[in-house]
Amino acid sequence: MNINNIKLSAWTFLVLLIGASACTDGFEELNTNPNDPVSVPADVIFPYGIREAVDRIHGHRTRLERLGLDGGMLWVQYFARNQYTNEGDTYNPDASMRNNNWKGFYNESLINLQTVIDITGDPESEAYNENFQAAGIVMREYLFSVITDTWGAIPYTEALEGSKSGNLVPAYDSQESIYASMLEKLKTAAEMFDPSGGAIRGDILFGGDVTRWQKFANSLRLRLANRQAAKKPAEASKVFGEILGDPSTYPVFTSNDDFALLGHESRLNDNNNNAWHEIMVVDGREDWSVSNTLIAAMTDGEGNATDPRITVYAEPAATGEMAGKLVGAINGLPEAIASVYINAASRPGKWFSQEKAPFFIMTYSELLFVLAEAALDGDYTNGLSAKEYLDMAVEASFDQYDLTIPEGYTAALVADKETIMTEKWKAMFSQGLEAWTEYRRTGFPTLPEADTRSIFENNGQVPTRLRYPELEYSLNAANLDAAVGLNGGPDDKLTKLWWAE
Amino acid sequence: MALRLRLSVFFIQVMLVSLMANGTPIDKTISGVVYGDGEPLIGATIAIKGTSKGTITDIDGKFELSGIPEDAEMLVISYTGYTPIEMEIGNTTFFEVTLDASNIILDEVVVTSFGIERSKKALGYAVQDVDAAELVESRSSNVVNSLSGRVAGVQIAAANVPGGGSQVTIRGNSSILGNNQPLYVIDGVPMEGDFAAPIDGADENNVYGGGISEISPDNIASITVLKGPNAAALYGERGSNGVILVTTKDGSGVQGLQVEYNTNVTYEKPFVVPEFQDIYGGGNGYVTWYADGRNGGITDPLAIEQFQAAYGTSYPLGGTAGVDESWGAPMDGRLVRHWWSGEEVAPLVPVPDSWENLWETGSTKTHNVAISSNYGDGNIRFSLGRLDQKGIFYNNDFRRTNFRVNVNHKLADNVRMKVSSEYIKSGSDNRQQPALWEPQTWHHRHDDWGLLKDYKDFMDVHITRPDDEYPYANWQHSFALNRFYEQEVLTRANDKDRFVGNISLTYDITPGLDLLVRGGTDVWTDTRISVTRNERIKSGDARTQAYNENVVRRQETNFDAILTFDKYLTKDISLTAFAGGAYRSNYYKQNYIGVNDVTINGLYNVANNASTNTNRSAIGQYETQSVFGSVSVGYKSYLYLDVTARNDWSSTLPIENNSYFYPSVSLSTVLTEAFNIESKFLSYAKLRASVAEVGSATDPYQLQQVFIPQDPWNSTTPVFSQNSVIANSGLKPQQTSSYEVGAEMRFLNGRIGFDLSYYSQTTTDQIIPLAVSPTTGYPEVLINAGEMNNRGIEASIYGTVLKSNSGLNWDVAFNFAKNQSEVVELFTDANGNTLESIVLHSRRGLSLEARVGQPYGTLYGSAYARVPDGEFAGQVIFEDGIAQQESSLQQIGNVTPDWLGGFTSNLSYKGFSLSFHIDAKIGGDLSDESSSTGMQTGIYPITALGREEGVIGVGVKNVGSAENPVYVPNDVVADTKAVTRMLSVRSVNEGAIFEASYVKLRELSVSYSLPSKILGASKFIKGAKLSIVGRNVAMLYNTHSQIDPELNLYGGNLQGALNYVTLPSTRSVGFNLNLTF
Repeated sequence: MNINNIKLSAWTFLVLLIGASACTDGFEELNTNPNDPVSVPADVIFPYGIREAVDRIHGHRTRLERLGLDGGMLWVQYFARNQYTNEGDTYNPDASMRNNNWKGFYNESLINLQTVIDITGDPESEAYNENFQAAGIVMREYLFSVITDTWGAIPYTEALEGSKSGNLVPAYDSQESIYASMLEKLKTAAEMFDPSGGAIRGDILFGGDVTRWQKFANSLRLRLANRQAAKKPAEASKVFGEILGDPSTYPVFTSNDDFALLGHESRLNDNNNNAWHEIMVVDGREDWSVSNTLIAAMTDGEGNATDPRITVYAEPAATGEMAGKLVGAINGLPEAIASVYINAASRPGKWFSQEKAPFFIMTYSELLFVLAEAALDGDYTNGLSAKEYLDMAVEASFDQYDLTIPEGYTAALVADKETIMTEKWKAMFSQGLEAWTEYRRTGFPTLPEADTRSIFENNGQVPTRLRYPELEYSLNAANLDAAVGLNGGPDDKLTKLWWAE
Repeated sequence: MALRLRLSVFFIQVMLVSLMANGTPIDKTISGVVYGDGEPLIGATIAIKGTSKGTITDIDGKFELSGIPEDAEMLVISYTGYTPIEMEIGNTTFFEVTLDASNIILDEVVVTSFGIERSKKALGYAVQDVDAAELVESRSSNVVNSLSGRVAGVQIAAANVPGGGSQVTIRGNSSILGNNQPLYVIDGVPMEGDFAAPIDGADENNVYGGGISEISPDNIASITVLKGPNAAALYGERGSNGVILVTTKDGSGVQGLQVEYNTNVTYEKPFVVPEFQDIYGGGNGYVTWYADGRNGGITDPLAIEQFQAAYGTSYPLGGTAGVDESWGAPMDGRLVRHWWSGEEVAPLVPVPDSWENLWETGSTKTHNVAISSNYGDGNIRFSLGRLDQKGIFYNNDFRRTNFRVNVNHKLADNVRMKVSSEYIKSGSDNRQQPALWEPQTWHHRHDDWGLLKDYKDFMDVHITRPDDEYPYANWQHSFALNRFYEQEVLTRANDKDRFVGNISLTYDITPGLDLLVRGGTDVWTDTRISVTRNERIKSGDARTQAYNENVVRRQETNFDAILTFDKYLTKDISLTAFAGGAYRSNYYKQNYIGVNDVTINGLYNVANNASTNTNRSAIGQYETQSVFGSVSVGYKSYLYLDVTARNDWSSTLPIENNSYFYPSVSLSTVLTEAFNIESKFLSYAKLRASVAEVGSATDPYQLQQVFIPQDPWNSTTPVFSQNSVIANSGLKPQQTSSYEVGAEMRFLNGRIGFDLSYYSQTTTDQIIPLAVSPTTGYPEVLINAGEMNNRGIEASIYGTVLKSNSGLNWDVAFNFAKNQSEVVELFTDANGNTLESIVLHSRRGLSLEARVGQPYGTLYGSAYARVPDGEFAGQVIFEDGIAQQESSLQQIGNVTPDWLGGFTSNLSYKGFSLSFHIDAKIGGDLSDESSSTGMQTGIYPITALGREEGVIGVGVKNVGSAENPVYVPNDVVADTKAVTRMLSVRSVNEGAIFEASYVKLRELSVSYSLPSKILGASKFIKGAKLSIVGRNVAMLYNTHSQIDPELNLYGGNLQGALNYVTLPSTRSVGFNLNLTF
């Protein structure tokens, strides 16, 4: 070994060292995610925002999180639980219901709907598309309305900014201000729609039909205007007048062919499916019977239908003394007693647990009930009478299931508040969350006295709202404290929401 | 003997080199032969004192040395593990030297970073090594499990499934959510990681095994554990959790050609057998009756007649087949319907062996053949091993074939080449970890678990509802699968190929200056086919099979070049320095296809799909480039100063933060040498201290906000969504800083000694996804925050209790470690709001958390109401005979053990030896949901007490008012079910908290080596050793009789702290036979 060799080796070594440290240039490229894109077209995000929202509102496969099924459907006594009655039926839903739905609404749906609006709403971008943006806004405001109707004050103005403004602690807005803003934004969106404008792609709701989006936007505005009518009569009346006075600018649903529903597709996996099919058929859960309250309202008391719709809503009892008849189960019973109903009471109608059964977001019938109520309350006086709207609403409800309305059914109806709301309740079967909201707003239908064996919690009262999730208490406490004040009562299930009449 | 420290072989050579210029060579030649233990020693060093001249012995122990300087006086002959001797040269030309095995191996050489061997005394930090001989006999198929209790400060939670990986932590968990597993290094080159945090393709290590679990123990020469960042500073980010250095066997230790055969056969049974009540059968309300596998009434006239014959007419006509609890009828022989008797009735009698009937005898069989050759210019070792493992549960297996080659060859006088490579083929027909919750919680005491295996015999007998078509007969159909059916058809098979190896070239540029160039890779690909549905299992649509195919490939490639310089600068000052550069790249690829509905059952081709498949694929790539260097200065062989420095560039961090530097400094001094202490009592004393800092990067692709694919809508509309984490483009590396001090002393000529360390390490700037209000649109944001501290002491004490000339020898060793961890801070926002806790895992409201001010792993949940103070302080408060719950959630336990310890004993006399190893973990809690839930389901003995009369819970009741409570002992008789129910985690989380202490007789072996006199006759067999071995032989102490508290059900940073029934751990007994030819 001589000195030259040492030099050579040392030189080689230095080259290696320099080589090592000089290669970091490619790091940025190397660390660019090859699996997940940093930008995507709006049409692939929109379906996710819609699908996840509907899934949660309608049912949701995950046990203890079924806001529609184990909240709304039980609390307005469409259904009664025949086992695990403490999973909603006794008015004490599990913490997962408030936490995971809160999380799901904001993180699965809203942020993606907001992303659709951001992508299609940037005038500088090629993706700029007013129709698409408007559809995103309508969907976002619809979902915000569901959230505020479930909790009251919620983060609205400052929400969904985490990756943009970095605001990690959004303040809450009062329900009153949210309603004002939702109505405003829906109006703006409705006016943005232009049938000759850009295509709304990835639209699993209306297949890109701009007119149907317009109708949904306007009909939804009427729903919300009616909901706040007792608190804001002038504002509500203005909305009714504006929309119904100018049907060409502000079209609304006109038949059972154009209302808002999400039609499900063949079951390819649980994300493409009707949640009830997923739960009741695929998972084979048998936990729900039809409530005796609904059965009593739609049968003769001896198991025979007086209202044909109940034959769609409920299956005949499988066993027991009244096998083959329509039998209701009692809400809120202790586990041991409730379980006798498993086979001895009517199970949910199979129509609703079909693979492709749709979820009704807002039906034509509901719109007519809204108009009936508006006519009755004087919020809208330029149209038909309350009775006429009521009759049309009930007829539309029968028609929705291709049923013939029994002779004299509408003739027996009186257009008072209780009748309108009770008929609306019958018509809204399967839309548990909306029916619960209408019950909390008006107190109708009148639910029966609790069975003496029932073990209802929450002072025996139907929950007026969900408690705020523990998540918010630990992650957004200061704003939450302020929000509790905005609701005008403690954070419990007894504080009435702003629109309660 | 005057104790004088000898320089290691390494240093002698260096010294010789450094003094090269001094001697005047003349033409004189000497030769000789060196023996040790009656055998020639290969590679013993012969050096001429005071000169550069030296050589080593050849394969026959012979040496020849020419050019001896005229003034040469003494020969120094040394060999690792033997006491060196000096001999006067004089006129002697042939030396026959016999070296004595050292009583104390003062010049122990240990493997440190990059495979560089260092004299242990020069190290300023704690390392501990384990000789492989200890690991082979009473082996675990995962070699790392054998370190439990053997190395102070190493905590291991072993998997219970065949082939499963283990969770290993050294000196506690330092990262809140990141990886806390040590780095495994094979012959100087890192393995692809064992990951604690689930990342693509590497999750489920507790089931699918990790890196180290696939390495055959038969090929391991020694394992060295570098315990903290100080020891591992040079390994960079992955060294912050400690490093486990594995040195594999090569052919250097043999003479000529040697063939070695080792076989190890063991049989396994459950280690801990739980106790159950055998008085009441399954069901509810004192009724036990199989109706149709589900809840419901009895309507069939024959059934009514039979039912009323057993129960009279006062009980409601209902089946209990849908109730999975055991509050049924007394098992008094009354005639009832069972799932296996159908419409017939059969006596209701206890089946005390039910649980044991569930299990089979597991087996682990290994065979290994190794052929080694040591020839003049190098050596080679080839090894072929096979492992076949059968689990204790039906149809659960694992197999592994290991091929290994080690080559060490001298290409030229100053160029050496080394190859270390292992090809591992492993797989299983079914390696699922069944969630066997029913046998330990929700079940019927009268049902025989063993009988369920024969479900096919009862298909015609068991009663079902008309619309139900079950593919199996079962004790019920509401909640539980028949596990034997599941195990038979819902299989998780895999087939994995792994290659791990490296090739290195060392070039001795000049004496004292070496260049090492090395490249190594660890690449594996695993094809996992899991059947997730065989056919429709409950009422509803007819369904076909569903399965998924998950193909995972991971690779880690390392290149490094290290220039090493070794020289005595003066007579007293030695310098060892090295500098190098390293390049590491990691790659993973996952292709996952889920076939949701097959067309033809049993055909596992993804094109055999009746509906759209679910597809997923992922690529992960990242690189780290490093330069590093180390300087060690030794003064007179008793004072050593080490300084190391490393800079990493990681591709996973933002450009502006992707370069990070970290240094370490350590100092050690051998007091006995420094002060020339020559005492019969104190043989050796060393003090050491060090400080170090280590930075770590993160996973790739964390910096940019992305969209992630979701299941398409209607298979035609693609769907994406916003990723759920707010990305952070300003991430910084995580930092771990630590210091440690230690002392090592040996007494009585080294017969006993101890090693003591104290360390403290703090990890800051942890990269954690911080939960934020979901209303931001995202549930989490990625940040640098959080500080965790771990500090503790480690001690090992060892000694030779007996040593006689007759050959009786008894060595013992004791290890002890106590680690205290503290979550110092998590996150403080701009407004000063602090985050108090991060939830690591949660079940039934009981969560495992990193909670500020507490040790890592706080168990938090609902607790019993207890008397705050006074005479009954701490007692549970009862009301109407029922235990009450505290209104707020509380800390109800912590998983961190008080201390870990181990004791090993080796007693040998001539050819016999008896060894055992005791392993202890004391303190720390676990949450055992299973045995807690069983209190609600009425299966444990306590639930059978006073079922008819009621029981009185142990605690107090309040006879005062709510404001002014007055407590007296509880004397209210309450219903047993209502009382024991409160012990269930579902009632009060605290019911599931148990102390996780154990002391196990972990290993026991008795062996006999055939004396060479007997073998000598054959000339064929050179050595034979037969051992009877046992593992998990006895539970010497535990606080929870129903389970083995050593669990790794969920993997991850949990150390088995949460359990909801996994396969039981096993006791294994068998033999090991070793033959050398």
